[in-house]
Amino acid sequence: METFLALLTYFAYFFIILLYTVKLIKYLRMPVHLRWELYPVIDEGEFEEEKNWIEKPRKKRYLKGFLFLLKDYFTLFDYAKNNFPYWLGIYPWHMGFILIIIFHILCFFGGLSIVKGIGVSYDSEAFIGRFLYLAILLTGVISFLAGIFGSVVVALNRILNRNLRDYASIQNFFTYFFTFVVFFTGFYSWFFTDPHFFEYREFWVGLLTGRFRDVSFWTKIHIIAFDFFLIYLPFTRSLHYITRFFAFFLIRWDDEPNIRGSKLEKRLTEVLKRRISWSAPHVQKGSSWSDVARFIP
Amino acid sequence: MRIEDISKKSEILLKLKKEDFMPLPHPYEKGDLEPEIRDLTEEQLKKIEASLDGISGVGLKKPETKEEENELIRKFLSGLEKLLSPDDNWTFLMPFYHSLEYCVKCQLCSDYCPIYLSSGKKEIYRPTFRAEILRRITERYVKKKKRLTRLISVGDIELNWQTVARLAELAYRCTLCRRCAKVCPLGVDNGLITHEIRKLFSQEMGIAPRELHELGTIQQLKVGSSTGITSRALSNIIEFMEEDIEEKTGRKIKIPVDKEGAEILLLHNAGEFLSWPENTEAFAILFDIAGIDWTLSSELVGYDAVNYGVWYDDIQLARIATRHAEIAKKLKVKKISLGECGHAHKAMIVIADRILVGDLNIPRESAIPLLRELVLSGKLKLDPRRNNFPVTLHDPCNMVRLMGIVKPQREILRRICPDFREMEPHGVDNYCCGGGSGFAIMQSMNFPDWRNSISGRMKLKQILEVFSDVISPEVKKYVCAPCSNCKGQLRDLFNYFGVNKRCGIFYGGLAELIVNALADLKRPFIDWEWH
Repeated sequence: METFLALLTYFAYFFIILLYTVKLIKYLRMPVHLRWELYPVIDEGEFEEEKNWIEKPRKKRYLKGFLFLLKDYFTLFDYAKNNFPYWLGIYPWHMGFILIIIFHILCFFGGLSIVKGIGVSYDSEAFIGRFLYLAILLTGVISFLAGIFGSVVVALNRILNRNLRDYASIQNFFTYFFTFVVFFTGFYSWFFTDPHFFEYREFWVGLLTGRFRDVSFWTKIHIIAFDFFLIYLPFTRSLHYITRFFAFFLIRWDDEPNIRGSKLEKRLTEVLKRRISWSAPHVQKGSSWSDVARFIP
Repeated sequence: MRIEDISKKSEILLKLKKEDFMPLPHPYEKGDLEPEIRDLTEEQLKKIEASLDGISGVGLKKPETKEEENELIRKFLSGLEKLLSPDDNWTFLMPFYHSLEYCVKCQLCSDYCPIYLSSGKKEIYRPTFRAEILRRITERYVKKKKRLTRLISVGDIELNWQTVARLAELAYRCTLCRRCAKVCPLGVDNGLITHEIRKLFSQEMGIAPRELHELGTIQQLKVGSSTGITSRALSNIIEFMEEDIEEKTGRKIKIPVDKEGAEILLLHNAGEFLSWPENTEAFAILFDIAGIDWTLSSELVGYDAVNYGVWYDDIQLARIATRHAEIAKKLKVKKISLGECGHAHKAMIVIADRILVGDLNIPRESAIPLLRELVLSGKLKLDPRRNNFPVTLHDPCNMVRLMGIVKPQREILRRICPDFREMEPHGVDNYCCGGGSGFAIMQSMNFPDWRNSISGRMKLKQILEVFSDVISPEVKKYVCAPCSNCKGQLRDLFNYFGVNKRCGIFYGGLAELIVNALADLKRPFIDWEWH
């Protein structure tokens, strides 16, 4: 059983990383597009408010943009401001996700510490051992509680609010149920069988060393549920966690002007050579974009 | 109303009633001063497709045979595939793909959509409604997902003639103001999806409102302007403007035309020459006083800044922008400056920025920062007391939310208008005038009624609210709208509701207010004549 559990976990991580990577590569390989920014452009400002702006130096402050988005990850401020009842469900639900990811990263480091001979417990001699123990405990417990609450409230919101219900799919409700199972089994396992997450850390030691460890029934159920959830995630819209950054940096805040002789201009010169197959009467089907642009119908 | 109802073979999906619409403030609170939206005639209904909401903006003719119907459906699908192609749609593929794939349907955008709110929250106008239809069609007919998968993941839809026809109309029930996109935490842009649907219909099926295509971009490229003004007519207009300037201000100005090597090629929306020549005259006066080296162009297309392609067709957009750049190149000007026209700003400065390469890549900028410089630099002798009347500013979406030009016009108004007051919300959160994305020029059948009653309703509400303390018609009030299309819409909107007569509210541009504040003018430049 322990071998199955370990192999399933390896596979789940490998699968989600692979599919997310494929999806992200597909996204990033799309050609350069026309400017379609929306203001305020947080990482820059409004340079077109200036006379002769093209002659003036422009500076992108990517860190500012990144921090803006990061802040929103941890607050979901737009929802809190514009639809508080919705935020009441969506916020704990998302916090559940964020914290369970941090929990697993910490478990990985916890396992690594144990492999390196540093005990992870509340009375560990090493500070890092005590820190990891506490951080794993807090992130795990808060994640499970927030996730359980969030899954229920989000599902109720989708059912009770007509605006949301009419646009909801069966998959939405399946996802809420699935996340509830993941968080609930995690909570149950922690509360009744593994209050210090000792088993979980040992499980990670097994994953890191290849000497797989068995765990109790409820921890096993939680690990299986979580693994299947990881396998399921690429088939949902969950990648919005990452593509949101792309949408802001590559679309909404992408105000890079086309300066003569720039790399951007070279890329644009290339895409303008692409041939079009649109077939309305005013279009010269089969011509390149640059030829079509110079044609007067 | 459910998404799948779009395919229903009913006569009409939504019957509009003014009692359902968002209430307006005084003096329109009772609703009796608001006209009813006219129904299409029996004759029109026989020929024209209006089964969405009884309104026709596109003027789509009903197919006469089943074969014709099937062909339209086939073409629609072929166009949808092209929207997802990196060759056919490199222009917007990434934003389109993102919006199609990553909407979680939280509906945060709905309460930001002025049309949805003004209509009394009619489902078909919800920003996610048309996007969801397109998403479901894509899943079923382009990605060819199996029925069970579709039912689980997105829900199903039937693609028939009704769906295609209603979607064509539905693409013209959104002004592309992109307020919905601004509030979306995930970067989803339902305005863009509307834009892409319009593009599909135009570029693949040759379907677009006549005012945008035949009378718009096609006429502009052939005759020189979407207004129909020819080069010869332009020279007459310029002569008239010079005489008018002399009569109004006593200044003898020679308006430069086709001046080679000028610093600035000024592009005006040709609608200004016809309907609001006081705006183009004001520019000429200000540039003359400031000693700016500028010129107009009399070349075909060169005297009309408009580029309706930005609303419905990338190919037409590219053609007009290319033509503008070629003219600037021929005149050897240092840069192109855009007058008071929001969509021309967006089209030429922002969108076409990635179409114009090599020697067509000529610097382009807004004239508003230049006007600010003139006002704040002291080059003009200004007396703000001459603008001693309540003034508010309408923010054209294209210039503000979509381009980031927010401060210059405000700095000007604060300097020259002692009773300047902001509408709420304003700046990047502004509401569209209701005439955006071509609506202001779409005048056929009963579409103008819909535009005035619904898409312009929120703007009217804002204007009435900002002037609520001086709403009596005896107090003259000025809505400054630095955009030709917005002015066109305000003219129609105010006429429809009798706003000028009942409330004494006028509209006009920014440059006119600056000229009106010139200290040495013998009489006011703004004459308060309704037109």
